[in-house]
Amino acid sequence: MNGRQLERVYCPVCQAKFRFVEGWKEGSVVICPICGQKLRMKRSSDGWVGDRPEKGTEKEIRERVDEYARLHGYVFKDMKEELIQGLLGKNRRFGDFYCPCRMEHVGEYMCPCKPTRGGDVDRDGKCYCGLFWKKA
Amino acid sequence: MKEKPKVYALTTCPYCKRTKRFLEDHKIAYDCTDVDLLDDAKQDEVLDEIEKLTGKRSFPVVIIGKEIIVGHDEDKLRKALKL
Repeated sequence: MNGRQLERVYCPVCQAKFRFVEGWKEGSVVICPICGQKLRMKRSSDGWVGDRPEKGTEKEIRERVDEYARLHGYVFKDMKEELIQGLLGKNRRFGDFYCPCRMEHVGEYMCPCKPTRGGDVDRDGKCYCGLFWKKA
Repeated sequence: MKEKPKVYALTTCPYCKRTKRFLEDHKIAYDCTDVDLLDDAKQDEVLDEIEKLTGKRSFPVVIIGKEIIVGHDEDKLRKALKL
């Protein structure tokens, strides 16, 4: 068996690992299929990890939420821009893009937050803050 | 109105901003606590109070007399403020 097929890549945003795809190499830019984050592949002593090439920028969070919505077929509503501004505010004040409507500034509430990745949108029709919506 | 409405908000939450804007647009004086800007000890104290009042940690919270409104809800605000 080709050992590479079992390799996984760690995403620092959703703090999960996803499957390595044949052909990826050091420096490849890929999208995390779990959270939509753009990552640059890097080999570490613990295996493949993704770097955030535009960490903390407006471009990063806009691309991430758009990718996440695209991956899951979710849509945005009229609050999108205000929520993006809230995410930017969280990053300015608390160091990363945590959910703008939550008190806690911990990894699991980095957007898209863990409850969202766990199926809140499909179950409730929207995520906690109303950024991602299930298509009607 | 006897007492000013009390608002608990997060500075990054757009729904909290809408609630504050609604009160300002209707020229309602209110007291506001931006919970995310409090120091840890004060934040714990305020969050305990919010949980006791509403059963959750959801924002904004508006207290108008005996009415407690969780989330941005203009109909409820109008009713409570008799607008």
